[in-house]
Amino acid sequence: MVARRRKRPARERDDRIPSPPGYAAIPIKFSEKQQACHYLYVRAHGVRQGTKSIWPQKRTLFVLNVPPYCTEQESLSRLLSFCGLVQSVELQEEPDLAEGPEESRSKFFHPKPVPGFQVAYVVFQKPSGVSAALALKGPLLVSTESHPVKTGIHKWISDYADSMPDPEALRVEVDTFMEAYDQKIAEEEAKAKEEEGVPDEEGWVKVTRRGRRPVLPRTEAASLRVLERERRKRARKELLNFYAWQHRESKMEHLAQLRKKFEEDKQRIELLRAQRKFRPY
Amino acid sequence: MGPAPAGEQLCGAIVEPEVMEPALEGTGKERKKASSRKRTLAEPPAKGLLQPVKLSRAELYKEPTNEELNHLRETEILFHSSLLRLQVEELLKEVRLSEKKKDRIDAFLREVNQRVVRVPSVPETELTDQAWLPAGVRVPLHQVPYAVKGCFRFLPPAQVTVVGSYLLGTCIRPDINVDVALTMPREILQDKDGLNQRYFRKRALYLAHLAHHLAQDPLFGSVCFSYTNGCHLKPSLLLRPRGKDERLVTVRLHPCPPPDFFRPCRLLPTKNNVRSAWYRGQSPAGDGSPEPPTPHYNTWVLQDTALESHLQLLSTMLGSAQGLKDGVALLKVWLRQRELDKGQGGFTGFLVSMLVVFLVSTRKIHTTMSGYQVLRSVLQFLATTDLTVNGISLCLSSDPSLPALADFHQAFSVVFLDSSGHLNLCADVTASTYHQVQYEARLSMTLLDSRADDGFHLLLMTPKPMIRAFDHVLHLHPLSRLQAACHRLKLWPELQDNGGDYVSAALGPLTTLLEQGLGTRLNLLAHSRPPVPEVSWAGSRVPRDTKDIQDPPKHKDSGTLTLGLLLRPEGLTSVLELGPEADQPEAAKFRQFWGFRSELRRFQDGAIREAVVWEAASMSQKRLIPHQVVTHLLALHTDIPETCVHYVGGPLDALIQGLKETSSTGEEALAVAVCCYDDLSRLLWGLEGLPLTVSAVQGAHPVLRYTEVFPPTPVRPASSFYEPLQERSSLLPRLDKPCPAYVEPMTVVCHLEGSGQWPQDAEAVQRVRAAFQLRLAELLTQQHGLQCRATATHTDVLKDGFVFRIRMAYQREPQILKEVQSPEGMISLRDTPASLHLERDTRQLPLLTSALHGLQQQHPAFSGVARLAKRWVRAQLLGEGFTDESLDLVAAALFLHPEPFTPPSSPQVGFLRFLYLVSTFDWKNNPLIVNLNNELTVEEQVEMRSGFLAARAQLPVMVIVTPQDRKHSVWTQDGPSAQILQQLVVLAAEALPMLEKQLMDPRGPGDIRTVFRPPLDIYDVLIRLSPRHIPRHRQAVDSPAASFCRGLLSQPGPSSLMPVLGYDPPQLYLRQLREAFGNLALFFYDQHGGEVIGVLWKPTSFQPQPFKASSTKGHMVMSRGEELVMVPNVEAILEDFAVLGEGLVQTVEARSERWTV
Repeated sequence: MVARRRKRPARERDDRIPSPPGYAAIPIKFSEKQQACHYLYVRAHGVRQGTKSIWPQKRTLFVLNVPPYCTEQESLSRLLSFCGLVQSVELQEEPDLAEGPEESRSKFFHPKPVPGFQVAYVVFQKPSGVSAALALKGPLLVSTESHPVKTGIHKWISDYADSMPDPEALRVEVDTFMEAYDQKIAEEEAKAKEEEGVPDEEGWVKVTRRGRRPVLPRTEAASLRVLERERRKRARKELLNFYAWQHRESKMEHLAQLRKKFEEDKQRIELLRAQRKFRPY
Repeated sequence: MGPAPAGEQLCGAIVEPEVMEPALEGTGKERKKASSRKRTLAEPPAKGLLQPVKLSRAELYKEPTNEELNHLRETEILFHSSLLRLQVEELLKEVRLSEKKKDRIDAFLREVNQRVVRVPSVPETELTDQAWLPAGVRVPLHQVPYAVKGCFRFLPPAQVTVVGSYLLGTCIRPDINVDVALTMPREILQDKDGLNQRYFRKRALYLAHLAHHLAQDPLFGSVCFSYTNGCHLKPSLLLRPRGKDERLVTVRLHPCPPPDFFRPCRLLPTKNNVRSAWYRGQSPAGDGSPEPPTPHYNTWVLQDTALESHLQLLSTMLGSAQGLKDGVALLKVWLRQRELDKGQGGFTGFLVSMLVVFLVSTRKIHTTMSGYQVLRSVLQFLATTDLTVNGISLCLSSDPSLPALADFHQAFSVVFLDSSGHLNLCADVTASTYHQVQYEARLSMTLLDSRADDGFHLLLMTPKPMIRAFDHVLHLHPLSRLQAACHRLKLWPELQDNGGDYVSAALGPLTTLLEQGLGTRLNLLAHSRPPVPEVSWAGSRVPRDTKDIQDPPKHKDSGTLTLGLLLRPEGLTSVLELGPEADQPEAAKFRQFWGFRSELRRFQDGAIREAVVWEAASMSQKRLIPHQVVTHLLALHTDIPETCVHYVGGPLDALIQGLKETSSTGEEALAVAVCCYDDLSRLLWGLEGLPLTVSAVQGAHPVLRYTEVFPPTPVRPASSFYEPLQERSSLLPRLDKPCPAYVEPMTVVCHLEGSGQWPQDAEAVQRVRAAFQLRLAELLTQQHGLQCRATATHTDVLKDGFVFRIRMAYQREPQILKEVQSPEGMISLRDTPASLHLERDTRQLPLLTSALHGLQQQHPAFSGVARLAKRWVRAQLLGEGFTDESLDLVAAALFLHPEPFTPPSSPQVGFLRFLYLVSTFDWKNNPLIVNLNNELTVEEQVEMRSGFLAARAQLPVMVIVTPQDRKHSVWTQDGPSAQILQQLVVLAAEALPMLEKQLMDPRGPGDIRTVFRPPLDIYDVLIRLSPRHIPRHRQAVDSPAASFCRGLLSQPGPSSLMPVLGYDPPQLYLRQLREAFGNLALFFYDQHGGEVIGVLWKPTSFQPQPFKASSTKGHMVMSRGEELVMVPNVEAILEDFAVLGEGLVQTVEARSERWTV
């Protein structure tokens, strides 16, 4: 393991783990048993002026390279709780700037993805937490005697047990969603009915599909259909090979087709010859 | 850290796609990421990839020249298409002899001529007195019996003539042979030399003396004996030049009698020229019955007399017509690809040339025809004419003294007389060889008529070796057994005729016997032709050591006799051989034919008949009934014991046999599962209480199309083995027990009738579907007492031990997902990943499943072939790269587009063809069209092929087109990558010859699993897994002697809780690995009980890179010189492998240091 040999002396020399500018590196290991560490790269969360961020400035720690076994938010908040009280932890696949945590998604319809390496936004209650975290030396241990973290067989078995949904809860969720949805649709419909036939300020009347006379639906497919019908109608009226020039042209067209085919074939043959495909045995 | 030295195939491919084999080069990059498509499009055209042709307007529409018009017209009239014309021209260029080589050969021939006439003469001696021959020179002939009258002296040949195809210009490369006839002076021969092999003895002595002198000449690189057309009485001398031209040409010297020496009337097929008194040392039966005719012996003598007249005939007919010569050359290639021309009694190039002459003389071929047309006409003639019944003759004279065709039919199985009317050109061709030729011709004609795109390639460029062409083969070994068979079959006259060659003598009766016995099970029986031996005259010119000189080969040395059986699937289903009614006179015959296997049986209609019943319970055993038939008949009628019959029909079956089954290859178990599914779908149809009724139930799982490698068995869980979760009435795996048996639910898609009540919003549709799933589970439990479990997307149902996963589908849902509203309010449909995925799962997958289900009903071997193919791909650890469906479709292509073969009727031959297809198909320039249900017309297929080239850059590496999926190739969209496909191609190309060699080995195939074991030395890291947590451990290629109990009962238990579904720790582990380290490495695993995960680092991700916040995953920052770079944190990752798979992983072996610099 050449890599290890080379890295060790480097670290001993200046006793600082190399980290990219603006970031601090915190070594992190799964447990005592492991030899090598991953490195969390952390910095205070900040955005360019003018852009909005849902994460509170100054109190948020931005963490890169969170290893796949830190799946639970608790494990990260426990690790960082030495630095100050943690208000919330949000784990994500990719760092994102504009959006915040999405509205809580239904666990029935959006199953949790399999975690890989993630990024985290850790919000401390006080700004001092961020600075303490930046100075952490580590190495942090994810799984300890007092707080074991499940991996492997343990985790898969508990995941399997968790994947059994409770049909009652699912039913309740579906019902509430559909109620809200039905209400929304009813409102929209009522609004549309109200507007039916009422001209706007410029005097235009909006035609909807609920009108008295059916109209063409406004879809691409429908308009294409109309165009196609027109084209066919026109084509029926045209005369083929009627004038001498038309005849000449169609002959020429035939020849051009043959030539094109010939060129294609020649190319094919050339390729096959290059691959020695004509050696029969 | 940097890339490794590109050593191994796969690793090399990943380093730089540019250095890959040309077969896939170029597309690799385009396929790798969708995002890089645009970039690669702009790149210069990759080598080896077809580009759409662009011709300028001026070029397309310029005035045609006369020449061009003529060329185009000629192409239209004489050839099928311009492509075919070009292909034929290329092929002829490849096989024809170049002028330069011709000159060198001519020079060599002149040298030979000079030397042959200068060989010194020898004074006259008795034939039996061979003391004049120098020590160590052996006569290339078995002189049995030795005593023979007559005298011999050597005199230089009276005339040396070049005969045969060389002068005609129809000989083809490789193996250029020039036949030279040496006319022996009249003084050597005496009257009655035609009798009792005297002529052949003299001929052999003549050659022996000649060889002795020529071997001392430094001109020749090798001098050895061979036998004309394999006839062991007629040796010929092979001369090859010395030095670099050694492989250029072989000159064959054939001594022949002076013209008009033999009287043709003495050599008619009805005459005897080998006296029994001489040959057997006794007069025939003593009662004055006539001597048996010796038609083959007579023919061999006659052949020598006709060498020159045949040449003259051929050169007058073919001499000036280039088209005819081309045609003959093409026919020779055609025969050679089918291995029909080689060996004793082959359908040689000379025969086809004569056939062309015959067709010219009957005006079926005109001299102005092109080579392609000649090929077509000859094939047409062969396909429609049965020379075993209606012989043909080149003889035009109606001389009454000439023998009648009927006489020839009596003596020979195939009749084609030459212009003299005395010589049967097809004397050595057996009936089965001719039937094979005829069968091939018929196949080729249908292929040519079907306007398939690449008829040329299938017809002339695809080899058809016996093992790949026939469903089953059997080897007879050792051949000396046939001698006893000859005696048993009372074939003494034939032995006398053949001069003791018991293989040829027994071949005819043997094939007839088997053909009769196999009856309706058989489509075609073919036999290998004994190879023509070459007896070396030792490499050194002066044989110093007597050991250098070999004796003439014995008949038993001609290797093995291999028979190929082409089975008829309809005939394979019956285990009964129905005979005549007991009181009929034919019953005795039947009893005699089948021996003790024939028994009297009373049938349901009251008839009492003779019948033979074979023991076969399962599909795979029924397929092997021919084995029983063959061994029984051979032992009964020819005394060939079972130990000498090596039947190769089912050695590969073991790989798709279930865990404890040895008698079935799983077709029955699959049928049981399908049956249970049918029951379930009936329940669904009749379900009452759903708000909308069920309109369609469609299977969407490999089991339901018979292509699951290991069919499911009914689950009967032992409750003590699990943690019961009573409130969900389910079982959970337990930590302290080994992993429970793997149960994969079978997906069933259930469509509901249309309704305007569905919401028109994707999220809401999902909720409504979930409500349906819940309701379905409730109803099935209430009305039919089935154990059900509903989730938001599916309902699992336990029925008779099988678990089905029912997915409700709403027809319009993909459309809703596709709808995009433009700012003007126009609604248009755009494909989105979600909509494509849904469409694939709920529309295309059920269609495919039902189409393949139908295919299985047509071709019972489909299941076996598809499963073997899948098994092999997965055993090579490449299973993840290929979807189930794509491999099934490739297997289906073998049945739907079998040309130039016929659809396979046994898994073995199908698997061999799968390997051949995979290793030779040009995925880069061709889509694989699988015409399911024959829905695509020829025009559509042509259009697809041309459209393919234009769209090549947007399509996946492997493109499979079906009638339901004409543009996108959905089953290969997400893989394989070019590198994985390339690896598969390489592996298939290695496995095919190895497996074929094993199967063709007459001593038995040896370890058939060799080709299924993956090479492990190419991987960087091996993760070894603990068998305790591999639920499918017993399915491994090398099945373990012992494994863990998986918590199943053999009898139905009391527990009716839902078993553990889809819980496979290795798969869960792999998903985590791929998610976490997919950017750094590739993971390979055999899902059927693999104990090893192979890891291959991606060298590109090991290039040090500048820091980027979005790509820190698993990397660490290092200072290299002045700058900070990111490299993968390999040591931590290796430990992560162990952490993530705790309990499952035994060891993580880092095998190479490629990731360090």
